[in-house]
Amino acid sequence: MTLNGGYPEGQEFQDNAALPAISLPNAKQTPTPAKTVDNQSVLKRLQSELMALMMCGDPGISAFPEGDNIFLWRGTITGSKDTVFEGTVYKLSLSFPTDYPFKAPKVKFETVCFHPNVDLFGNICLDILQDKWSSAYDVRTILLSIQSLLGEPNNDSPLNTHAAALWSNQAEYRKMVEKLYKPPAQ
Amino acid sequence: MENLAILDSLDDLSVNEILDSWSGFCHCTVQLLNGQCFQPEESNFISFVNDLCKYGLDSLVQDHFLLSLKETFKRDGVLIFWQQFDAYHDGALLETDDTHMVLSKALEEICSNKQYLEKCVMMLAHAFHSCDEICFASEVAKTLLARYQSMVSSVLLTTLPSHFPGILCVYFKRKLEQLSRMISEECEDGYNLTGNSESDQRSETSTGASIDEHYEERKFSQKNKLVRNIGMVVRDLRSLGFSSMTEDAYASAIFHLLKDQVHDLAGDDYRTPVLESIKEWIQAVPLQFLYALFAYLGDAVGVDDNVASAVKSPLASCPSFVPGVGLPSEGLIRWQLRLEYFAYETLQDLRISKLFEIIVDYPDSSPAIEDLKQCLEYTGQHSKLVDSFISSLKYRLLTAGASTNDILHQYVSTIKALRTIDPKGVFLEAVGEPIREYLQGRKDTIKCIVTMLTDGAGGNSNGPGNTGDSLLEELNRDAENQENDDCDDDFNPDDKQAWINAERWEPDPVEADPNKGSRNRRKIDILGMMVSIIGSKDQLVNEYRVMLAEKLLNKSDYDIDTEIRTLELLKIHFGEGSMQKCEIMLNDLIDSKRTNTNIKATMSNPSQRGANQGEAGMSLDLLDATIISSNFWPPIQVELLNIPDSVDQLLNDYAKRFHQIKTPRKLLWMKNLGTVRLELEFEDRTMEFTVSPLHAAIIMQFQEQPSWTSKNLAAAIGVPVDTLNRRISFWISKGILVESVGTEVDDHIFTIVDEMAEINKNAVNVGTCEELLVADEEGETCVASVEEQLRKEMTVYEKFILGMLTNFGRMALDRIHNTLKMFCAAEPAYDKSLHQLQSFLSGLVAEEKLELRDGLGQLNPVQLVTSTKFTTISLLSRERTNSLCEDLLGSSGLILWLLRVLFLIRAGCSFTLFI
Repeated sequence: MTLNGGYPEGQEFQDNAALPAISLPNAKQTPTPAKTVDNQSVLKRLQSELMALMMCGDPGISAFPEGDNIFLWRGTITGSKDTVFEGTVYKLSLSFPTDYPFKAPKVKFETVCFHPNVDLFGNICLDILQDKWSSAYDVRTILLSIQSLLGEPNNDSPLNTHAAALWSNQAEYRKMVEKLYKPPAQ
Repeated sequence: MENLAILDSLDDLSVNEILDSWSGFCHCTVQLLNGQCFQPEESNFISFVNDLCKYGLDSLVQDHFLLSLKETFKRDGVLIFWQQFDAYHDGALLETDDTHMVLSKALEEICSNKQYLEKCVMMLAHAFHSCDEICFASEVAKTLLARYQSMVSSVLLTTLPSHFPGILCVYFKRKLEQLSRMISEECEDGYNLTGNSESDQRSETSTGASIDEHYEERKFSQKNKLVRNIGMVVRDLRSLGFSSMTEDAYASAIFHLLKDQVHDLAGDDYRTPVLESIKEWIQAVPLQFLYALFAYLGDAVGVDDNVASAVKSPLASCPSFVPGVGLPSEGLIRWQLRLEYFAYETLQDLRISKLFEIIVDYPDSSPAIEDLKQCLEYTGQHSKLVDSFISSLKYRLLTAGASTNDILHQYVSTIKALRTIDPKGVFLEAVGEPIREYLQGRKDTIKCIVTMLTDGAGGNSNGPGNTGDSLLEELNRDAENQENDDCDDDFNPDDKQAWINAERWEPDPVEADPNKGSRNRRKIDILGMMVSIIGSKDQLVNEYRVMLAEKLLNKSDYDIDTEIRTLELLKIHFGEGSMQKCEIMLNDLIDSKRTNTNIKATMSNPSQRGANQGEAGMSLDLLDATIISSNFWPPIQVELLNIPDSVDQLLNDYAKRFHQIKTPRKLLWMKNLGTVRLELEFEDRTMEFTVSPLHAAIIMQFQEQPSWTSKNLAAAIGVPVDTLNRRISFWISKGILVESVGTEVDDHIFTIVDEMAEINKNAVNVGTCEELLVADEEGETCVASVEEQLRKEMTVYEKFILGMLTNFGRMALDRIHNTLKMFCAAEPAYDKSLHQLQSFLSGLVAEEKLELRDGLGQLNPVQLVTSTKFTTISLLSRERTNSLCEDLLGSSGLILWLLRVLFLIRAGCSFTLFI
């Protein structure tokens, strides 16, 4: 009956590193219908964040809802001056949970980013996106944090060990960044 | 077979007889045709023919006879005939007077020749007749004549020189012209005679009358003679087999003449109706001529009747009539219809080609429009009008060179004119479309329309017409109509009325666009069409509000009667609700007047105030305040400004008093607005000015100190140096101040001029300087214009647009529009139309903030700006912006440098005006 061909289902899942991440929202699925009443306030919050982000005009960071779904944003970060990332532009995807801002949004790099705290799939290791999340943060602060993370990586807990090792040699690192950088298609 | 059998049975004797007879016959024929002898040979000829017939050679006889006839005719008649026209071969001589003489003489000759030969044919027939039975002979005569006739025409037609039809045309044209001249003279004479007879009726009758009669008779006979001459020519030509060519010739001559006549009568004068006179002329000249011609030829009735009775035209049955000549034949009526149609068409073409000019001076040219309407009703070629008019509009009006005012003026005239031609507005819709589209692309359209609506006095000095007048009138009329409509409504339910309306229904013309319901074009409403250019009446009302505010704020008295009247009219048209704010603005002014007098009255009483005034040297009488409720006015531009202390004191007193009267309300002065009347006293002269408060503040500073540097002066007045430099040029242009370069490059020293002599010295500069200033002055308004308001609102959206484009790279126009609608819901919610967004985006493109690419990724900025189709908008890359900035800086530096050189040459001209 199953397509797994005799393997027990559990085994298959065990191989998947993302198992807890997937099961987590599944476990929380029960309370979400109760929170749909609150959906309106989430919408409002996101909308006002958008407005604030648009009006602040911080250089080098930007984000905007993708398509007609306000829970899914697309972000843009420009590498700060005087860092090895100067002149590069990175695309991000931000996905907001329905109970935002009580939960952190999931943020990923869409463009390849050679950085100690960013893995090959674009996952970011940043404290405020995990355990240090607070509802006081918003899109703007997230983007600013990521922008500053680019220039000041946390080499103690690297996702990309190669990058972490190379970081000490800034000239070489810059070369590597340039080599791997793919400018987002306009 | 039979012949061969006869040949077999022939013996020598009969052969000899045949040969003898044949040679005799041939000889006789030659002699006969040469006309040498006639009578004596006749019997011989007959006997020869008889002999030959006996042997059954009658057909041979006929053939031979006709062949020789043909050769003779060709030799003696035709060649000579054509030779006479050789002189006219190249057409150069056609205009000479003797053409008709040559033609008729030649025709006469050839006809007599032909008649002679005809007699010969008759003789042959006679010969046959004598030898055969009677019935057979008459048949032979008929066929012989027919063969002869066809031979004549074939000879003539085969030898026809190509220029002959042209000669005929010219001949008929000249004759007709002559006739037409005669008839017009006759008409004039008739007119004069009736005039004369009226005036000196009693003085002289008998002699005068007899002379007149005689004169008339002579005229009449002259005319008859002319027609008879033509008739003769026509008859001769017909008998030669040229009937169709002849008809073509005189028809084309008539049409030619008619065309000339139409052009002559219609010409470039649009102030008189010409259609009737053209019709009269058709009756008087060509129809009379044709009547006379047909009557002379005698065949008109017979021939044409056959045709006419077969296809009886319904039009022919109605008796339309040539004066003074009996019943018209069917042919004549056809001619009349043909000619009238041709006249209508010619006139219509003429008018259509000049429609643009006609509409330019529309109210004066309404007779021409009326004519055109009748023509079109007759010919039904409305589409021609639409096409031609649209193309002339595009070529002549909808160009960058035409001012919006002119275009609007023309549009209004077009609406009015076409309303006459086509009350349903079908063609108007087609014609109006390009104008509307074009106007929508112009920025100042709304402003111009509003000006036209409000400036009833025709204040626009730069328009030839009183455009404003017409729209204001339109407003008036609209108001009246609405009143009338109300009355109509009461009657409408009446069944009878409904029935009458139903009976009056007519289908739309075929050209109507079926996509557009006929409902909404029933009533052509100029104002409605004007508003439709703008898009919505809200925009119009908004623009009106800004203009009204401007006007009210610049008023030096409280006289707002005209504004009230206009507003009332606008209220009728656009509804009370939308005009509410404007009404409040007017009420503010009325209130201001009352409050102002009130304050002044109470202030002048108390004695302690009087003392104050004495000190300040200014009384409140000098001050008139306009008190506005700023919530209802368009945003007002406030500039900070230090006004002289004495005036400031005055304002404070006024405000205090106002607060006392109207607690808790307080006055907040807008010191940069309003007008100041100044009198400048110099040693040798006094001058009066009405200027803005800033100008006044500037000049008043010179009261204390005759010379200021621009920096110090700006600080004293409390405005930026730029503003000061811009405004001070007014006084420089008036020759009150002079400017000189200060110690630093940016600093200038302004000095007051005390003597006339110096003004004269500077006068040369003044003129040129002022010209440059005009444009600058115009830019200064106290109320933020509608565009500025829109731009302010749009800055929020600009950030959104930039934000989304940063993240998505490129987007299509409607996606931007939809995204804005979706996510820009908070205050201020996005409520713009696609069109507005588009124009805003093209602004951003022009500012080099965005670029527009169509599918292929074009990067040419000029194309981007002018292109109206937004395919994709994307952010301009950074390097590009920078380089452009550098470019701009480079060029502006250059211009500044040039201006500096100029500045050195003509001292006194400020280069700051460039900023």
